[in-house]
Amino acid sequence: MQNHLSRRTFLGMSASLLVADRLFGQPAANSRKPNPDLERLGAVAVAEAKKAGATYADIRINRYRQQFSGYRLAPQRGSNKTDEVPFVTDQASFGFGVRVIANGQWGFAASPLVTASEIARITREAVVVAKANAALQASPVQLAPTKKYVDRWTSAYQKDPFGISVDEKLELIHGAAVTLKKDPKIMVAFGFLAFRAEDKYFASSEGSSIQQYIVQVFPSLQATAVDIQKNISRSRSYQVPPSTAGWEAIAKANLGENAPRVRDEALEHLAAPPVTPGKKDLVLLPSHLWLTIHESLGHSTELDRALGFEANFAGTSFMTTEKMGKFKVGSDLINVFGDRTNEGGLATVKYDDDGVLTTKFPIVEKGVFKHYQTIRDQAHLIDEKESRGCCYADSWSSVPFQRMPNVWLEAGPREINPDSLISGVDDGILIDGDGSFSIDQQRYNFQFGGDAFWQIKGGKKAGMVSRVAYQSKTSDFWNSCDGIAGPAYWQQFGSFFDGKGEPEQINAVSHGCSPARFRQVNVLLTD
Amino acid sequence: MLTQKDAKNLIDKVIGFSKLPQCEVNVTWTEDAFIRFANNGITTSGYRITQQISISSVTDDKRQGNAVVTELIDDALQHGVQQAEDLAKISKPNPEDMPALGPQKYLTLANFDAYTAAARGDAMIPHVKAIIESAKSGELTAAGFIQRSSNAIAVGNKANLFGYHTYTDCSLTNTMRTAGGASSGWASQTSVSLKDINGEAVGKISAEKAKRGAVTKKKLDPGKYTIILEPAGVSDLVGLLAGNFGARSAEQGQSFLSKQGGGTHLGEKMFPDYITLRSDPLDTKLATAPWGPSLLPNQRLPWIDKGVVKNLYYDRFWASKANKEPTPAPGNIVLDGQGHTLDDLIASVDRGLLVTRLWYIRTLQPQTLQLTGLTRDGVFLVEKGKITDPVTNFRWNESPVRVLQNTRMLSRASRAQGSETGSAIVPAIVADDFNFASISDAV
Repeated sequence: MQNHLSRRTFLGMSASLLVADRLFGQPAANSRKPNPDLERLGAVAVAEAKKAGATYADIRINRYRQQFSGYRLAPQRGSNKTDEVPFVTDQASFGFGVRVIANGQWGFAASPLVTASEIARITREAVVVAKANAALQASPVQLAPTKKYVDRWTSAYQKDPFGISVDEKLELIHGAAVTLKKDPKIMVAFGFLAFRAEDKYFASSEGSSIQQYIVQVFPSLQATAVDIQKNISRSRSYQVPPSTAGWEAIAKANLGENAPRVRDEALEHLAAPPVTPGKKDLVLLPSHLWLTIHESLGHSTELDRALGFEANFAGTSFMTTEKMGKFKVGSDLINVFGDRTNEGGLATVKYDDDGVLTTKFPIVEKGVFKHYQTIRDQAHLIDEKESRGCCYADSWSSVPFQRMPNVWLEAGPREINPDSLISGVDDGILIDGDGSFSIDQQRYNFQFGGDAFWQIKGGKKAGMVSRVAYQSKTSDFWNSCDGIAGPAYWQQFGSFFDGKGEPEQINAVSHGCSPARFRQVNVLLTD
Repeated sequence: MLTQKDAKNLIDKVIGFSKLPQCEVNVTWTEDAFIRFANNGITTSGYRITQQISISSVTDDKRQGNAVVTELIDDALQHGVQQAEDLAKISKPNPEDMPALGPQKYLTLANFDAYTAAARGDAMIPHVKAIIESAKSGELTAAGFIQRSSNAIAVGNKANLFGYHTYTDCSLTNTMRTAGGASSGWASQTSVSLKDINGEAVGKISAEKAKRGAVTKKKLDPGKYTIILEPAGVSDLVGLLAGNFGARSAEQGQSFLSKQGGGTHLGEKMFPDYITLRSDPLDTKLATAPWGPSLLPNQRLPWIDKGVVKNLYYDRFWASKANKEPTPAPGNIVLDGQGHTLDDLIASVDRGLLVTRLWYIRTLQPQTLQLTGLTRDGVFLVEKGKITDPVTNFRWNESPVRVLQNTRMLSRASRAQGSETGSAIVPAIVADDFNFASISDAV
């Protein structure tokens, strides 16, 4: 549900004269029009760019807010007495970035001083950058067409998390952390609540004028257990999905009710025997599998990687363009979508940072690789006519480029449930939560740990084991999938910190899936 | 540029708005310019100014609130202070809060270069051009990134502490790939001054690596190998190691420095005599800021001295409980080298692997510091002191602790840029028994 009424609470200072607050203030009731002051500032960039000789220009005027609150509970030095250390931080960032095409080349410049004269100056700088670099362009930039949009959009949330008092937040997380810490073998109990809001305005020389407001939440709890005598340390987390949502997602997470389980499982993890390495079947829960999807199928199907634009940093991709429509990357069960429209997804937004209306599209159909993630300046490179709406910049001061949409795995048949997946395993491991993750620069070879591991013996879940990691190759792994649980078990997890690009940018992205089974994967024993 | 006078005025203004007993203000200001290139052409580039004012307020009973703003107008600063103070009043007392530090004597560090601070496209494009021309002439495909930044940082508090520092930095990285993507080479340079950067030299190294790897690669079995690890890879391993010298986690059983049954390995000889790992804020190759997060002055400090664990990182609170002098956190990292060249290292190895750099490094076990990662952009078999064949990439599972314990020879140290941890002053090393876990087909 959209909620414009809570904007005043979000601002927290109704009489402010701050530039950011004036520009992003509360709209007239249910208005779909961007703030006129933002539109006036946007027009300055567009006009100045044209005057300086640019053939295209866009400006993003953005304000971000992030709030972190939490507790760290750990023993005092040489004592069993616990110190309870709270932390509370509220961060804001506000500025604009202008992107132009001049002489066929991109140019970009950004500043935190949001005034008409600075916008004009910075726009001229962006044109200078573009023209200077045009001498070394491989080929002129071509933009796929997009419609012109004038719109104002707010992400769905029921209760504004910035409107909830910090007192209430600290009390909630304190209660959960104290529960975690109750056993003396729990050395550190850590919990936090993070909230993020993005106010973004986009205007382009093609006539689009778009204002969007996005609210996201992320709670977390972690217990670290230590056995000093054996010199072993193990942790267990309650990994709540971060999501584009409001305070209601925190309430749903039931942090307090889950804390005793997390504590008990941290202790069980501490005492758990090491895994016996070898080929084993894996049943992976959504809290874990999201990251495997992200690294192996999400990144390998980014067009900029496949075409070599990320060769110097994030890498290229084994999923090269001739494989489109042909390559069998997974078993027939594997259907994967790129989607910036799904409810709660961290990459969900109505328009991307190219001003393109976002969409849902197939990436893998019945195991066959179908489509790349693209933006406007890439579509023509694979003979496509329009962008798939995957453009994003992590700040007003960052250059927009192709970033991952929510990439999710379709659920299996209704009758399949986690127990039926487990019942088909003679010798295997059930993994919950994400742990260590690493994959090569072409997305073939990966190795994942997890947060907790249970042995599966003779079709039944048995006790916990420790020191587990599994190693595989993307197409081997996805082709070994022979069972996916039904829609009732589909859950979305994700990350705020997916890195790519130079200068490096982060991206927030979600990956949904149901529990799934993979046959004969190489399981390792770690230190 | 944010001048010292501007910074002092700004901090005084923020502190002037503060009503609580303690207020600390940290200011960062950066102007940077960058060019990114791929497929033998410039792709994106930019010029930008960013700034941030972090305000931390503390009540008499140790309640702390923090706010960060980026607008410099009085309203925004006043609002930031108000927000930090409101949060402090709502928060709970922090039993580990330490009293504000008074005035400190910070080192004067010379790591600002006016040429670099003013450099724009005309100073950077020639380096990119040299690389792209070299790629084209060698039928290679170049990708890379060149960036320079001009930075001012300042800090002040109600107890009359004030610090101000300016620095510049720049880097150039370049990947060369052969047609069809069968081989990849990489090289980089990073310095305080753009005058030290040479695009032609960087392009030459990465092109040589790419060409050397262009013949059919040997697929060696995973297992334990002697490696000659170039400085970029060493920079990552020691950078990750240096983040694990915390006294508290060592004493509380969560670190490689924790001892079975309790206590730490402080004072023990864990490494060979020739391993010395230290912080040196005055090293002109990679000077650090004059202060760290605790605001204590950064200083020369050995973490491992001739193989002995010499210091742990005691923050002010933990030091007060342990009756020790607090130590600044590692600001920069130096692994001392020996007088050898990389060629000497290669010549010393009967059979081993020369590794250009490491990639996607993550912690497998925080306590043992076992890491996982991959090799990237050039692995070569060394036999009887000579490079023979290119080899496919590997995944490795290994601990930097074991790597330093198994190190038997080091080159001269230079500033090198890792893939995960920024740069450090490190040599190339020869280390035995490095654990490669599986083959990676990636190029």
